[in-house]
Amino acid sequence: MISIENLTVSFGGTPVVHEVSFAVAQGESFALVGESGSGKSTILKAIAGQAHEWTGAIRIGGDALGKRRDAAFVRRVQMVFQDPYGSLHPRRTVDDTLSEPLAVHRIKGHDARVLAMLDAVGLSRRFRFRLPHQLSGGQRQRVAIARALMLEPEVLLLDEPTSALDVSVQAEILNLLADLREDRGLTYLLVTHDLPIVSFLCDRLGVLRAGRLEEVSDVASLRAGHLDSAYGRELVARSSG
Amino acid sequence: MSLLHVENLRVRFPTDHGEVEVVKGLTFDLGRERLGIVGESGSGKSMTGRALMGLIAPPGRVTADRLEFDGIDLRNLPESGLRRLRGARMSMVMQDPKFSLNPVIRIGEQIGEALQFHRSMNARARKQAVLEVLEAVRINEPERVYRLFPHEVSGGMGQRVMIAMMVVLQPDLMIADEPTSALDVSVRATVLEILDDLVRRRGMGLILISHDLDMVARWCDRILVMYAGRVVEECAAEKLHEATHPYTRGLLASVPQLNETRRRLPVLDRAAIGAGT
Repeated sequence: MISIENLTVSFGGTPVVHEVSFAVAQGESFALVGESGSGKSTILKAIAGQAHEWTGAIRIGGDALGKRRDAAFVRRVQMVFQDPYGSLHPRRTVDDTLSEPLAVHRIKGHDARVLAMLDAVGLSRRFRFRLPHQLSGGQRQRVAIARALMLEPEVLLLDEPTSALDVSVQAEILNLLADLREDRGLTYLLVTHDLPIVSFLCDRLGVLRAGRLEEVSDVASLRAGHLDSAYGRELVARSSG
Repeated sequence: MSLLHVENLRVRFPTDHGEVEVVKGLTFDLGRERLGIVGESGSGKSMTGRALMGLIAPPGRVTADRLEFDGIDLRNLPESGLRRLRGARMSMVMQDPKFSLNPVIRIGEQIGEALQFHRSMNARARKQAVLEVLEAVRINEPERVYRLFPHEVSGGMGQRVMIAMMVVLQPDLMIADEPTSALDVSVRATVLEILDDLVRRRGMGLILISHDLDMVARWCDRILVMYAGRVVEECAAEKLHEATHPYTRGLLASVPQLNETRRRLPVLDRAAIGAGT
């Protein structure tokens, strides 16, 4: 579904991601892990079209991406951001936020779609006309996930989707993401620094360090603590430390 | 000899629908030990920390039957008295160095400000003291960092600067409110190690406030678990995994593990917990 070949991303001429290659199958959940500055979020940005200085090839479902992202792309690929306090417009109601992608893409039947989506992400229908400040962090992240799903994409790019949430709320959102993937056959590309989340939600993972992919491993090795690269093992040791 | 006595601490805020109590009668004693306060957002853990430091601004109200720091009654202490205590004898490390350091003052001068306020020292001795404390928080080139502005250092270094600022006067009590949650995982352990080392070496009392159960269990001696403004469980840190309260058990179970194979994570049944307390 997603294929990345020799991807190099630069900011102002300085390369921060170096010749990274990996592929994610349809319906698979793949994690990119590493510390801050390892380039994991930058790879997501390059795919989403937010980082423009890149070379190599990015393919979604076989179609190579150019420098611009068109309407067909955003219908296939959507993103959920880390901070639900920053990623929702403070003066738009939940209904506005969820209807906007439909309006932009001239899709009819707002009403039924918004209600169905609220049900799908486990938000009570009474929240439909509330503003973000009237919602808790977990409810906001549900809205952000609902917004990403409004166009019925095949791929979700998840950038630390639970790191701003309390552990008990994190569990609710992780369950929701696992359910949605199963129900809708979604493909996930998840960026996180939290290895236990990878064990719960993903099939495989790529370990990034200083913009280079150190290894790609399946999640069974992670659960057993047997990553191949020295750096991967160091991350595991720190995580269980 | 106990450092801090807290009896029936309450924090209230007025709202359109009447007064809301966010800390509902907290009682604990603190010696020269490491106490962890854990709970979720809205549990009142941060408000407890702020109330101890006298940082709840009106219209918020703090009341207590007893609130003593080293024999000093904090309840009716005027602001000037609090200012003499804060920084010098009790200090607080905040969550995010980006927002808690003054962006337009050089790091060295910011740390020196506390010395200037609380101690009579000439400029040279002050600078020397600042350089020493920067070294104590394991900053390699204190001379260089002294001259930097907060935006020129990383988050981890910013937090070490903040800790330096808080220990430069060798306080007796340090309150750290989510000191590492704005930091990268890779530097969290370092920052906590530094904090721990200073606390032990200087014999301070530490209150570590966090939502991270494992972190608190690892770095503290004793733990208070807060839920909806009340302490629902108190236990020794190494016994956290034997906790009995349904809220504590629920929190522990909801954290994914490295060898996770559960298909679904258990979530808290808030209605049941609310009924139980």
